Amino acid sequence: MSSVRGDVDAVARGEARPASEVVAEVAEGRLATEQMILNVGPQHPATHGVFRLLATIDGEVLVDAEPIIGYMHRGYEKLVEVRDYRQITNLVSRMDWLSNIQNELPLHLALEKLMEIEVPPRAQYMRVIMLEMNRILNHLMFFASFGAELGAITPTFYAFREREEIQIAMEMATGGRMHFGFFRPGGLREDVPKGFLAQALKGVRQTIERLPDYENLLLGNEIFKQRTIDVGILDKETAYSYGVSGPIARGSDIDLDIRKDEPYLVYDRFDFEVHSGRNGDCFDRFWVLVHEVVESAKIVEQAIEDLPSGPIMGKVPRVVQAPAGEVYVHTENSLGELGMYLVSDGDRRPYRLKIRTPSYSNVSALPEVLRNTYVSDMIAILGSFFFVLGDIDR
Amino acid sequence: MLERVSPEEALERVRTALGDRAGELRLNFGQVDLVCEPTRLVDVMTALRDDVGCRYFTFLSGVDRSEVADNPGGLEVLIHVYSPDGRFHVNVHVPVDAEAPRCPSITGVYRGALWQERECHEMFGVDFEGHPGLSNLYLPEDFEGHPLRRSFKLPTRAVKEWPGAKDPDEAATGGR
Amino acid sequence: MIDITLTAWQVLLIKLLVILTVVPVGALVGGYAEHKVMAHLQHRLGPMYPGGFHGWATTLADGLKFLYKEDIVPAAADRRVFTLAPAAIFVPILMIYLVIPMDRNLIVEDLDVGIFYLLAMGSVSTIGVLMAGWSSANKYALIGALRSAAQLIAYELPIVLAAAAIAMLAGTLSLVGIVEAQDYPFAVWPPGIGLLAFLIFVTGAVAEMTRVPFDMPVAESEIITGPFTEYSGMRYIFSHMFAEMGHMVAFGGIGATLFLGGYRPIVPWEPLEYVPGIVWFFAKTALMIFLFLWIRPTFPRVREDQLQKFAWKFLIPLSLLLILVTGAWVIYV
Repeated sequence: MSSVRGDVDAVARGEARPASEVVAEVAEGRLATEQMILNVGPQHPATHGVFRLLATIDGEVLVDAEPIIGYMHRGYEKLVEVRDYRQITNLVSRMDWLSNIQNELPLHLALEKLMEIEVPPRAQYMRVIMLEMNRILNHLMFFASFGAELGAITPTFYAFREREEIQIAMEMATGGRMHFGFFRPGGLREDVPKGFLAQALKGVRQTIERLPDYENLLLGNEIFKQRTIDVGILDKETAYSYGVSGPIARGSDIDLDIRKDEPYLVYDRFDFEVHSGRNGDCFDRFWVLVHEVVESAKIVEQAIEDLPSGPIMGKVPRVVQAPAGEVYVHTENSLGELGMYLVSDGDRRPYRLKIRTPSYSNVSALPEVLRNTYVSDMIAILGSFFFVLGDIDR
Repeated sequence: MLERVSPEEALERVRTALGDRAGELRLNFGQVDLVCEPTRLVDVMTALRDDVGCRYFTFLSGVDRSEVADNPGGLEVLIHVYSPDGRFHVNVHVPVDAEAPRCPSITGVYRGALWQERECHEMFGVDFEGHPGLSNLYLPEDFEGHPLRRSFKLPTRAVKEWPGAKDPDEAATGGR
Repeated sequence: MIDITLTAWQVLLIKLLVILTVVPVGALVGGYAEHKVMAHLQHRLGPMYPGGFHGWATTLADGLKFLYKEDIVPAAADRRVFTLAPAAIFVPILMIYLVIPMDRNLIVEDLDVGIFYLLAMGSVSTIGVLMAGWSSANKYALIGALRSAAQLIAYELPIVLAAAAIAMLAGTLSLVGIVEAQDYPFAVWPPGIGLLAFLIFVTGAVAEMTRVPFDMPVAESEIITGPFTEYSGMRYIFSHMFAEMGHMVAFGGIGATLFLGGYRPIVPWEPLEYVPGIVWFFAKTALMIFLFLWIRPTFPRVREDQLQKFAWKFLIPLSLLLILVTGAWVIYV
């Protein structure tokens, strides 16, 4: 017996049951309700791109949710097999398009390990500065979008205003606002122009100055708290089992930050904290995100202060060919652990490059978190999982 | 338990925990590398998770070594796990038969394998026995072939070599 | 002197024509105000180009644009109900304007049961929203319509009770009578009671208009436009845009009349009487509208069940308490 509620096709065909029959059934307490399958996406304002969630809802409760991905699959792992390492730099930056330059890093670290190249200190510091600036850009973007999904339209504009200053700095140095292609095996493409450091410092300091206001706007708002506290709780073992990393994992009280655990570049010389939440709910994940901006700003300030002079490129042969071997390198991307397993057979191109992206693992944990929540909570949870489609689909 | 474990000590831990269940066991760039037979895989992974402490599931993928320049091999499933407390990595190489690749599923050990095995299945053609629903993750259902195998050539590259493949010297002399 | 005597019917016709002009113009101005106020609160400028000076013709251009959009009715939709729904939403809002006094004599008809009529008309739109959502044959629209119906019913009560408190204080249900009873605006005197009634009214009004923070039914980032997802062209304008703006201006007018003193000056001070009543009325309405516009960019959305909890477990008991206290005041003071 199908209920009148879900069977819209029957209405169109003229076969719907007469109201009197339904009323009689309700009076007897026999009305069977049907679960409705709702397709969230692929085109939906809240899903950050072409992401589809097949949700089975019973009224307003989400009984089951299955993410369907692959709408943006570009076949990165195959594409890189026919490109040499410099070309891959530009390609790879388009995976997580919000943490652009951070995507380029693991590849170069892997190359530098295999080829045993030493990166000069200036290049290392400069890399750190750019990486952390990118992290701020990414986190501000998610600050904007999370607010917008919950209905708070104003933080978007404030966050974008702050992003602008930092993007001006990045454009000064690399020529791009979104995709930079600035790293090379052994260092950087070129040295940064005069004025870059001043602009970077300005952008970062301005963000820090204004951050408390934005914090209050969302984190201090009663409605926001009601919608995010105790919503979408991700527990530790689930997180470990799925490989969840980044601010999402740290929100669940997992002390996992590769910059501290296995420092690469010169991260061990900086003084910064790793924030973690207590509950593992949306509020904690967002709280970690916002507070990481402060830490990144601290790192940028310290790096600019200690920036040594010198060459920005180590001793690299003209033709970049990695000797045969394999290595796995992972770095702390804005959204989690970005890893690259590079298998090289001595050619100018990688033999096999497995790219392990953070959003992929994070989103695979969604079905468990989404079970038995409300439809409106689904939006909050999706937003708080901070994923980028390019990262999931590669 | 939050103390960094040195790579040598990690190697020892894995050796003690696994005994002879692990095949070739060595250190590679500071990470533990081991070869495991498909039949023993679930056993080994469970031991890695429970006895060695590698609770964090990094990735599961494959490598098709059939066209390696000096030393061609076969198809293998590559699993990478990490210990968040000891902060060491373990790479598990599982050689599978190239003609009819089969491998037991480790979804019971690490739930993250749910998606990763689906991807490996569609990209390499590996059949994961025991996986609750081995359907395509990225590719459409009617896609033919297994893209990440070396035998699957990129269609555009089958017709013409990648035009950008030149080194700096060639570029300087204006070679196309 | 030309002697013009008009019959009662002719006067009524003229008044109705005035209303039919004032309402759309009010909605257009309200829409423009929304663009600009929200923009400035968000550190940006808002529309600047349409019409030349600071984009004053934005909403007009929008309205004209919608005139020539394609009118799509989904194949599976219930055609008759689908086409009737916008009317069911918009017409009651027009009817509200019939009893709002813009000056001592500028009212279409001063009904003796003014408030009663007003609130009754306000509730009729709920059916229209349900009709729109149900007939659209779209699951998102359905969710939106059901949320909307639940919300509108829940928040009717606080508005009614707050208005009842005002009626008690004024001693009459007629709107002109209520304005005449306000030497000082009710929001200020009686102290506390009037303010509480005002706050309850504002909260209820924001929920009735399904505006942020109570805009779950039309939660843009979740269910697209809720019950109006399948509407396009002029139907969309009438059911969603015009209705919301018209509603906002109407509630602004009602709030100004009930709580801020309507067309009377703020304080009974002789020199202020020289300012025409209509100016006072529009100033107060503008203030109310600004309040509604201010709230929108500031808050996130309240979740549907939290919204219901807030109404039934907090706002309605509070309103009942208000009635009690007002009754005591009226009797003993």
